[in-house]
Amino acid sequence: MSYLVLESLTKRFGRETVLEDASLAVEQGETVVVFGPSGCGKTVLLRLIAGIHEPDAGAIRIDDRTVTHLAPEDRNVGMAFQNFALYPHMSAFDNIASPLRARGLTAAEVTRRVEEVATLLKIEHVLGHLPRALSNGQKQRTSLARSLAPGPAVLLLDDPLRNVDAKLRYEMRLELPRVLKAFNATVLYVTQDYKEAMALGHRVAVLMGGRFVQVDQPARLYTRPVSRDVARLFGDPTINLYEAHAESGAIELFDTQFAVPAPSGPCVVGIRPEHVEVGMEQRPGAIPVELDAVTPLNVRAVLLLKTRDGQEILATCWEDEAARFPRGHRAVWATLRPDDLMLFDAASGARLAPRTH
Amino acid sequence: MTRETPLGRLVRGVLLTIVGLFFLFPIVWVFLMSFQTNATILRIPPSLFFSPTLDNYVALISGKLQTQAGTLEIAFMNNLMNSVILSVSSVALSLVLGIPAAYAFARFRFRLGENIAFTLLSFRFAPPLLVLLPLLLYFRTIGLDNTYIGLIWVYQLITLPLILWIVRGYFEDISEDIEHAYRVDGNGWFKTFIRIAVPLARPGIAAATLLAFIFAWNNFVFALILASADKQPVTVGALAFVTASGIQYGQIAAALVLSVIPTLLLALYAQRYLVEGLSLGAVKG
Amino acid sequence: MPPPAHGSRREPTERGSDVTTLTLDRVSKVYGQRGSNPVLAVDGIGMAIDDGEIVGLLGSSGCGKTSTLRMVAGFEDVTSGEIRLGSRVINRLAPAKRNVAMAFEGYALYPPLRVRDNIGFALLRDRHPRTEVEAKVNEIASLLEIGDILDRYPPTISAGQQQRTSLARALIRKADSFLLDEPMSQLEPQLRAILRARIKDWLISRRMTTVFVTHDQTEAIALADRIAVMEKGVLEQFATPAELKERPATLFVASFIGEPPMNIFKARAHLDGLGSIVALDERGDAAFEVASPAGIAQLAEGQSLWLGVRPHRIRLGDGPGAVRGIVASNHWLGDQSHLGIEVGRNLVIAVAHGVVDAPIGSEIAAILPPESLHLFDGETERALFHGVGAAVAA
Repeated sequence: MSYLVLESLTKRFGRETVLEDASLAVEQGETVVVFGPSGCGKTVLLRLIAGIHEPDAGAIRIDDRTVTHLAPEDRNVGMAFQNFALYPHMSAFDNIASPLRARGLTAAEVTRRVEEVATLLKIEHVLGHLPRALSNGQKQRTSLARSLAPGPAVLLLDDPLRNVDAKLRYEMRLELPRVLKAFNATVLYVTQDYKEAMALGHRVAVLMGGRFVQVDQPARLYTRPVSRDVARLFGDPTINLYEAHAESGAIELFDTQFAVPAPSGPCVVGIRPEHVEVGMEQRPGAIPVELDAVTPLNVRAVLLLKTRDGQEILATCWEDEAARFPRGHRAVWATLRPDDLMLFDAASGARLAPRTH
Repeated sequence: MTRETPLGRLVRGVLLTIVGLFFLFPIVWVFLMSFQTNATILRIPPSLFFSPTLDNYVALISGKLQTQAGTLEIAFMNNLMNSVILSVSSVALSLVLGIPAAYAFARFRFRLGENIAFTLLSFRFAPPLLVLLPLLLYFRTIGLDNTYIGLIWVYQLITLPLILWIVRGYFEDISEDIEHAYRVDGNGWFKTFIRIAVPLARPGIAAATLLAFIFAWNNFVFALILASADKQPVTVGALAFVTASGIQYGQIAAALVLSVIPTLLLALYAQRYLVEGLSLGAVKG
Repeated sequence: MPPPAHGSRREPTERGSDVTTLTLDRVSKVYGQRGSNPVLAVDGIGMAIDDGEIVGLLGSSGCGKTSTLRMVAGFEDVTSGEIRLGSRVINRLAPAKRNVAMAFEGYALYPPLRVRDNIGFALLRDRHPRTEVEAKVNEIASLLEIGDILDRYPPTISAGQQQRTSLARALIRKADSFLLDEPMSQLEPQLRAILRARIKDWLISRRMTTVFVTHDQTEAIALADRIAVMEKGVLEQFATPAELKERPATLFVASFIGEPPMNIFKARAHLDGLGSIVALDERGDAAFEVASPAGIAQLAEGQSLWLGVRPHRIRLGDGPGAVRGIVASNHWLGDQSHLGIEVGRNLVIAVAHGVVDAPIGSEIAAILPPESLHLFDGETERALFHGVGAAVAA
């Protein structure tokens, strides 16, 4: 029996249906990342589990106990909010102690637990401060500590790294799994950053159109997205997409034929930027393109290419390779391999190729 | 833009001084008048220099005034006590009723919520005189005429809408997530109201209390119609200084000064809360 | 070439022409000078921006970058120093007379005008023909992916769309310089790469001198020809992205630039034999040792240092001089892998191509090549060595 079960949850706000028939099962000690475009209902989902909202239909079970309509204070969950939601008139210590006191722990036990969690999250030296005296990073850790301290059955983390600066966000991406493992927590983690999703989740549940369209290990979501929309969510730059027509096992793209096993008919071709090889010399099967701009992206560089008929292709290469391309427009050659192409049905968006799961 | 020339600063300073003097002048004059005898006050031309006397204050506090026509009984201290009783009680009642109501309006979306809230506010729009005479007749019938309870009840028309609307705004400004976090921690909704919502709305409650107290204290018409001599507040009691032998300006001035002191003290005390950080940094941004 | 008249429409001049180099000469800004708590927001900034160059002002919040931009625009007085356009001092010039186009952090769109009218506002005011304005508006709108909301009103569109409208309004104009305040902070993640590339192409093709402010170093490096890294009002380094990555002048710059950020450890010089650098953990104990770059003879034995190495310069695999550690994390992100390796008590981050077969908890060896090491002085935090050569004095 899975530890956290969401069964066909439906939630409407006025005329807007935010969640529809959303189902998910999470095992104990697992971290599942709920990932999707903004406004897709991820935060609402967490709030349903926390008890802040009630679903219009469906059920929520934690450790075999149905909690769907229980008040928040009766559910034994912990939640860390995107905007921290610390109590402004209480010190960091009292903030973290709040759930412990609500559970009736003795003062000595409260102090012990608060200091333990604070030390783990490296904020033991600011426990006496009020939230307004804390930096964003410290506020975020305090919020996290408060949710962890009582050892809740389920931990709900609502994009906790969103409002934290880039450097700290990267550090937390490494630290968070270790902290969560130390508590053996069952975690639902919401984020809009696919890299965070891939790094933090044992599994990633992609929420789109109010339901989970794919729940899988991070790597499989990247290489075997169930649809074009899921493919667009993973990867920076986004996957290149072009309308094409498949005809008996081949498609034509940029005046070149590619052999791709797919049923005949209209389709959408996807090629990830890292699979577009750009060179100064012509190679067999290469497409002539114009390199319009080089924009570095951390350890790689993004190349904006334009084909003869005006279509854009985004390619990436390693930063050292980008050095050979000068500023301004330049004629170059782009190579695509048929194995790297993904095909999606033009109407439904479902993946046609590669066929294997 | 931060381009301010020295000339601009000078002109701004002069204008501010003029405006300040314009508004402060009557208050200062009244304050000075309270230390002068009637004769000094009425002298023409009026003078800034005089020998101060405490006669006016003595008369008010002792309750007796010597005039040409004889000794006059002054009920000022009694009026002052009535003002205190009425204002404090009305505001207290309004707080007990208004704060939870403000919370309900802020947090719960119920049908007709806005309509009810607006109706309560609309009480402030209507001229009191419209309702007072019918109200007097009803009060006479049920025996609330000239009672503290009756007056405090009527005063709610002044104080309750104020508390409701100001405090509701402050509750709305508190991020709901802070309350949600307290619930998820394991606390019920009432404890959340008492421990989180009310403390965080303190500046608003202080501001609303101050305003409600001032309006209640300054009210004239309700007490004029619905109260008799022994229940009158200072506003109505001031009429007593218009006597057959002339208007006792000195005593009026002294009465004014004494009347203002309670509200002044309250404002000074509550000011601290008004200035207190309204963005307490617990929520990002 | 005679200086152009105030407020007239100008064409960009030839590269290197003295007329349009934007120079900041020891510019400082103090807020609340006469008050009880004066704040030194900008402290003696100096830089020369060439015609057609794209410059990024990068730093965390409160570092003075926005104040600097607003001084260049004319919305803030310069407390001391000079801002010059060519040889003309423009400190006292009102913003409208400086011929700048600005995109504000708060967008500042005109609510009663449709998106297309917001964008075309300045051109219409300068009496460009309507058909020409419409064509230009459509062009910039499709570039920034707001072509489908041109007839909507600002309050009805999302923050990201409002921001792009504000950007379009600035970029459509012809001006001496373009000042952009956090121009893409609200951009949807899927649009970032393509829009950055298109905007860069637009700016370069039209030789638009641009100064933009950002706290996101990824964005700065993507767009800028040169970046001014600022911290607490001081200009730490003004250099190309490659320079900032390969030759950071201070420890602050080194730790600020790059994602993942540069690995930085406290270290000590050890002059035995060929010399080595000993990296220390947070307790001060030795964590690991690397061969020192050439030229280390100038260091003193036991000298306190900071050691830096960029994650993707680390070569996974065994070899002479390799360090050994345990795999703490292994994240495959689709086009690259990020590994966290515990060496001693230090965590070393490495970036590699493709998938790396190294399960968590397994042993792994990695080489920190001497030519990729950066050494900083332990006290002053200024750079001493970058790879093989000594650091150039900033």
